[in-house]
Amino acid sequence: MMKWTMSAVSLIAVLIAYNCSQNTVNAASTNAITQAASASHNSVLTHVIQASSAGMFAQAKAPAAAPIPVVENTDAVKAGSQVFQNNCAFCHGRDAAGGEEGPDLTRSKLVAEDKDGDKIFPVVRNGRAGTEMPAFNLSTAELNNLQAFIHYRAYISATQKGGRRGVDVSDLQTGNVEAGKLYFEGAGGCTKCHSATGDLAGIAKRYEGLALEQRMLNPSGGKNGVNLVKVTVTTAAGKTFTGSLAYQDEFTIGLTDSDSTYHSWPTHLVKFTVTDPVKAHIDMLPKYSDENIHDLMAYLQTLK
Amino acid sequence: MKFLQSSLILTLVTVGIFTMPQQVVGQNLNESQLLHPTTDIWPTHNGDYSGRRHSILTQINPTNVKDLALAWAFQTNQTATIKSSPLLVDGILYLTVPDNVWAVDARSGHMLWRYTYPPNKGDHIGQRGVAMYKGYIYFLGPDAHLLKLDAKDGKVIWNVVVADSAKGYWTTMAPLVIRNHIIVGVSGDMDNLPGIIRSIDADTGQSQWVWYATPPAGTPNTATGGPAWVTGTYDPDLNLTYWGTGNPTPVLQGSSRPGDNLYTCSIVALDPDTGKLKWAFQPSPHDTHDWDAVETPILIDGTVAGKPRKLLAQASRNGYFFVLDRTDGKDILTTTFGPTNWALGIDKKGQPIPNPEKDPARDGRLIAPEESGMNNYRSSSFDPKTGLFIVDAHPSWSIYFTKPEDGTYGWAGADYGLWGKAVIEAIDYHTGKVRWSRDFGTGGASAGVLTTDSGLTFTGDNHGNALALSTTDGKTLWHAGLGQGIASSPTTYMLDGRQYMLTSSGGVLFSFALPE
Repeated sequence: MMKWTMSAVSLIAVLIAYNCSQNTVNAASTNAITQAASASHNSVLTHVIQASSAGMFAQAKAPAAAPIPVVENTDAVKAGSQVFQNNCAFCHGRDAAGGEEGPDLTRSKLVAEDKDGDKIFPVVRNGRAGTEMPAFNLSTAELNNLQAFIHYRAYISATQKGGRRGVDVSDLQTGNVEAGKLYFEGAGGCTKCHSATGDLAGIAKRYEGLALEQRMLNPSGGKNGVNLVKVTVTTAAGKTFTGSLAYQDEFTIGLTDSDSTYHSWPTHLVKFTVTDPVKAHIDMLPKYSDENIHDLMAYLQTLK
Repeated sequence: MKFLQSSLILTLVTVGIFTMPQQVVGQNLNESQLLHPTTDIWPTHNGDYSGRRHSILTQINPTNVKDLALAWAFQTNQTATIKSSPLLVDGILYLTVPDNVWAVDARSGHMLWRYTYPPNKGDHIGQRGVAMYKGYIYFLGPDAHLLKLDAKDGKVIWNVVVADSAKGYWTTMAPLVIRNHIIVGVSGDMDNLPGIIRSIDADTGQSQWVWYATPPAGTPNTATGGPAWVTGTYDPDLNLTYWGTGNPTPVLQGSSRPGDNLYTCSIVALDPDTGKLKWAFQPSPHDTHDWDAVETPILIDGTVAGKPRKLLAQASRNGYFFVLDRTDGKDILTTTFGPTNWALGIDKKGQPIPNPEKDPARDGRLIAPEESGMNNYRSSSFDPKTGLFIVDAHPSWSIYFTKPEDGTYGWAGADYGLWGKAVIEAIDYHTGKVRWSRDFGTGGASAGVLTTDSGLTFTGDNHGNALALSTTDGKTLWHAGLGQGIASSPTTYMLDGRQYMLTSSGGVLFSFALPE
């Protein structure tokens, strides 16, 4: 026999409430997540459109209205959904629109550029070094179904107005341009390294919305794929090597030189200096108020 | 070595230890061994009921640890990462990844049997180990089923449902055995579901009791959630079992669930025989940042102002370090162990007061720590000699968003990590001050922690190096690059007069020992 315990609630009350709640959940599940997890994928679109039509949050900078090719909810999508739920949903969300830490795949550039898995498969098979993305050992059939599901979810996401969970450009418009300029030139210390008419001229043409904000707060992703962190290593023989930091732990230091050649040394045998221009951004994290960030965003968005 | 209370068992086991080869005792584990584990077993997720992950072994010491070398490696041949601490009983290790259990010879690393769980629809995010009682292994499938396996060959004895995976529950944890209670918690915060802790009869598989963290879904103005997904601890003298519970749902949107949202993000003390709540303390009242308070509540028999006290300490995901009186849950110390910016202060109970301005918002809120927290499922260790609580900390920053159209179901928002680093910190439990810390650089957290009586701290960095540090000052005394990140917590045992240290990297289990 089961014994049910729950502070200050009797057995009967719990059982009744529990039954009621199940009905409530079922009745109230006009939610894309619940629906996506169910077998009835055809209902997803309907529900999402209903839910978002009340929202009225169109993109501030809607892209030129190119027709979005329809992605059908095929058997492969349904099979891929199960692969996704088992392996990917924890980080990327059940509907691929983002979960714990994992990015929203429905707005991913890589997914948008993928054709039949040519971009997706290598990432799934190998993982992504330097990120939390692990490698998965999936069969070709599973991979094919998986990419079908991801493309289906991207289609659903692209055809819904406003957007659930993702951050829209229109969401990041609460700052004050003047206050942002003041902060940029003053307390923020941005002008120590940057110039609105120099390196940051036209930044708002190159990045927008969340991507711009993330880059503003931590640009350590590098510039055109080149690591911004530099290292100079002097060997015991007095030879000096300079390049982009390629690896560093307590025991090994590695760099890629201007010739794209990798070199590494045991840390205890050499002297080295690491120069990280991004550190100034990291040092600012404890200093920003949310208002500072919103104001800075407002200002950067004028640099077109 | 400590010996056993029950006179009948004493006789049997004594015979086993002293006069017969260990195999005669044969894949068995009784209550006395669980209460007083000897150094030749690691019979529970944490090695013992206290959760302190400290060993009295001293063969490997700060002087000779530089010679530590590979004894053997066990390849799971899986891409799934090992997150479990292998149990060790009678010279056999029991190791898991999702859907898989292996029995491995602890002396040689060769496989004795493998059990594979059939394909299922549960979330496969991780498997954190098995429990053992008598001659049986208790294993949770991803789909929230508990299996009882014969430890001799991995054959299924029974398979019972812990929670309904179709509703969105899944399971990853190592169960906790207290007498004939197999106590399990669940995962599942992608749906609005009450977290539960369930006790299941070790023999029959019958459910004995269920404790609910929250009211049922649909109860107005309340949270769901609070899943307990990391193995709890147990004080046999008080007969109380201690568990941390997870975050409330909806996760990032708190408007539909005003108030503290008890008992989510809480440390709870339950009677293991009835499931009745004795006391609760809430590290994160009204959490809106996914900061489960599930990190192991470590039991410390220590002192406060010179007087002996029964204490409990947790380095919580939200960045706060708590020391409580484990008899009544009263707070003794509350402090932070890294950058936090989300609380207005500490209330009379010693709980942080969340700042409503730091709830996720449409235009974003800058938050420290990030969602994966200052600490997570990897184990901390308490070293009684130095009084140090050693944790793999993750100072970090992120931005959190939510808006009304994200709804009030499941995740209900979005968050993005900005930056983080891995730091091993040694916190003095008397003062909460960090006595030493080791910075392992940008990225995710490093590895779980084990301390030993010889003054060693075994852990890892976030590049995949296994490390032995000096417990007194944190200096690196030994390292071995294992090739991938270390997602588990190290363990140790002594067999045939040789001390082994186990750790893992990716899907490989490594055993290190001093050269013979």
